[in-house]
Amino acid sequence: MDYELSPAEAAWRDEVRGFIRRNVDPGLASETRLKGNEGRGPLALRFHRALRDAGWWGIAWPKEYGGLGKSAVEQWIFIDEIESAGAPMLPLTVTSVAPTIMRVGDEQQKREWLPRINEGGIDFALGYSEPEAGTDMASIRTHAVLDGDEWVVNGQKMWNTMAHSATHNWLAVRTEPDAPRHKGLSMMIVPMDAPGVTVQPIWVWPGLRTNALFLDNVRVPRSNLIGERGAGFYYAAMALNFERLAIGSVGMGRRMFRNLVRLVRERVVDGRPLKDEPWVRERIARLAADLEAGRMLGLETAWAIDQGRMPAAESSMAKVFVSELVQRIADAGCEILGLDGQLHPEEPTALVEGRMQWLYRLAPMLAFGGGTNEVQRDIIGFLGYGLPRK
Amino acid sequence: MRPEPTGEQRELQEAVRGLLSREVDPDRLLRWENEPAACDPVLARTVAELGWIGLGLPTASGGGGADLSDVACLVEECARGLLPRPLLGAIRSADALATLDPADPLLPDLASGRGRLALALDEPGGRDPRGWKTALSGPRGARVVDGEKAYVPDAEGSDVHLVAARDGGSTAFALVDRRTPGVSVQALRGFGGDRQGHVGYRAAAVLREIAATDEALARVQRRQAALALAEMTGGMAAVLEMTVEYVKMREQFGQKIAVFQAVRHQVADMGTTFTAARHLAWQTITRIAAGAPRDVEEASAIAWVGQAFKRVCWTAHHLHGGAGFVVEHRLRFHGERAQSLCIRWAPEAPALREIAAALLD
Repeated sequence: MDYELSPAEAAWRDEVRGFIRRNVDPGLASETRLKGNEGRGPLALRFHRALRDAGWWGIAWPKEYGGLGKSAVEQWIFIDEIESAGAPMLPLTVTSVAPTIMRVGDEQQKREWLPRINEGGIDFALGYSEPEAGTDMASIRTHAVLDGDEWVVNGQKMWNTMAHSATHNWLAVRTEPDAPRHKGLSMMIVPMDAPGVTVQPIWVWPGLRTNALFLDNVRVPRSNLIGERGAGFYYAAMALNFERLAIGSVGMGRRMFRNLVRLVRERVVDGRPLKDEPWVRERIARLAADLEAGRMLGLETAWAIDQGRMPAAESSMAKVFVSELVQRIADAGCEILGLDGQLHPEEPTALVEGRMQWLYRLAPMLAFGGGTNEVQRDIIGFLGYGLPRK
Repeated sequence: MRPEPTGEQRELQEAVRGLLSREVDPDRLLRWENEPAACDPVLARTVAELGWIGLGLPTASGGGGADLSDVACLVEECARGLLPRPLLGAIRSADALATLDPADPLLPDLASGRGRLALALDEPGGRDPRGWKTALSGPRGARVVDGEKAYVPDAEGSDVHLVAARDGGSTAFALVDRRTPGVSVQALRGFGGDRQGHVGYRAAAVLREIAATDEALARVQRRQAALALAEMTGGMAAVLEMTVEYVKMREQFGQKIAVFQAVRHQVADMGTTFTAARHLAWQTITRIAAGAPRDVEEASAIAWVGQAFKRVCWTAHHLHGGAGFVVEHRLRFHGERAQSLCIRWAPEAPALREIAAALLD
């Protein structure tokens, strides 16, 4: 048994921290906060360029694809440190879609897409959900029909976040209408500038933008269907597994908690230091212990990946635990801030930059996004403990 | 990082599992509950002969020379298989003595099972060593101990007590023969299976004194807590395992109850809780084994793991329904141990206080 980072891992963590010290300043954190996901601001773009210049864009990609070939534990350390610093995270294009293409794409597709992703020229929106297909992704109706050397795509996607700034969509479409539901889907890359693609904004509770995507006879080269026809459901599940490694990180929770602790140490309410309130002390202590528990779950998942396993149950455990923990941090934060906890982030007197009430509004999404926590608990039951489906 | 046992540790755990699955079952545990030693003397002898009690003791004292992580692996598996508490207590009290004095002449007897040691720390007035009143007195060579110790595990079944006492302004430990004049044991009916008792010492002759510092006492207590964490993860593993088996087998409304999402999700939460608790526990165990100073993560483990064990047990009881509620079921032994271990070695409130102080003061 050994829970300490190896010397190489500790050195990598220090290297990441050094990079953050050099490239993250209050201006970047502020821009990231104000921009939400309304496209990336100039400082975020500069930060991402610095990541690319350092060769860290594809940190977990194998070296043969131009990546650093870092282990999953090292990737986890990177995500944790970046999130903890409040810097813009690597896009899902790099951490979710690209690793899927590496595993399922043919050689020509890998040559076509991976170098462009690595250079920062490609940015995907993820097109899984539809009005009638949320958690039940096998119900997808958006379909593509082969016409000569092109697919003709028609349908509608929901929650197509970043579609307004993306260059391409990573789209789940039905290509095999006669096959069983799960075996009738394929993954396809659709350029956002293709005729027939329309994006409509949807504003959600924490002030973030997502989109509805409409596809009207959109023509896509035949070679843009990634991997095998009919295997899209499984490819999407694979991409979601990669995505969960990031969602299961406690980095953002640690940052919010750290800011909350700093405020509690300094603030005086009714003439008494807030830190002397027994209920405040207890809630802070419980959250600290929970954060450590969440950290262990994420770290173990990464370690299991490095052992050559596909730790679906463990990554679901981390996702469920951390998403629900962030809800508790947000709730405790708002209560500890009291009346001041209500203020909008743009209100000049908002404490901890209004992030606690923002987190309170964001937190529900963490539990239903990236695969609902009900589905995650099913995965833990089925794959972790062999519970029967019928 | 390597958050799983080594090959040797796995072999040890498999051997323990094999023996305990043959030798320990609820009927025997129930029978032993009514016997003075609270366990079978044959099993006690076997355990000693296999070197379990002495595993972490110095080889010069007849022990195995293993480190705390190995002993914790042993204890984890013993707890999983419901080794009677007095025998688990024998492993932990031997560790306490060896921590204080690795060359104490009593250690070979403890390793061989010829002697059993009780650890007498807490007092009726409280658990904080600064408030303990039990004291040593008398001239060198004729020292005696006076005071009261409360809730001493194995107080009556042991041969020797290791008594924490004040010696002037400092801490000391006294080894006292349980049968020596002046020692009175009031056996207590409790739960958790560790046969506790209140002990009075009235000018009780001291066999041997071990001078110690407050730091030495803290080291003993941290190691005891580490072993308690291992007991808890072992118990939790067993409870989770038996619950998974039960929901896969039990049928209601014409189907296995595991098929119901409400049941499946509770099992999933048990699994998540156990997984996080296991890693929190073992991070702390390995750090204590390596001699690392106490940190916030250690307090977090103490605050979290005990509560996790209790939560897992309650959920298991809920999912087992009446089947797990009968006295012959293994589940209730784990449930009792969960609370008993938590109260003694992993109380949540002081750990939370420690975390809050570290972060806020």
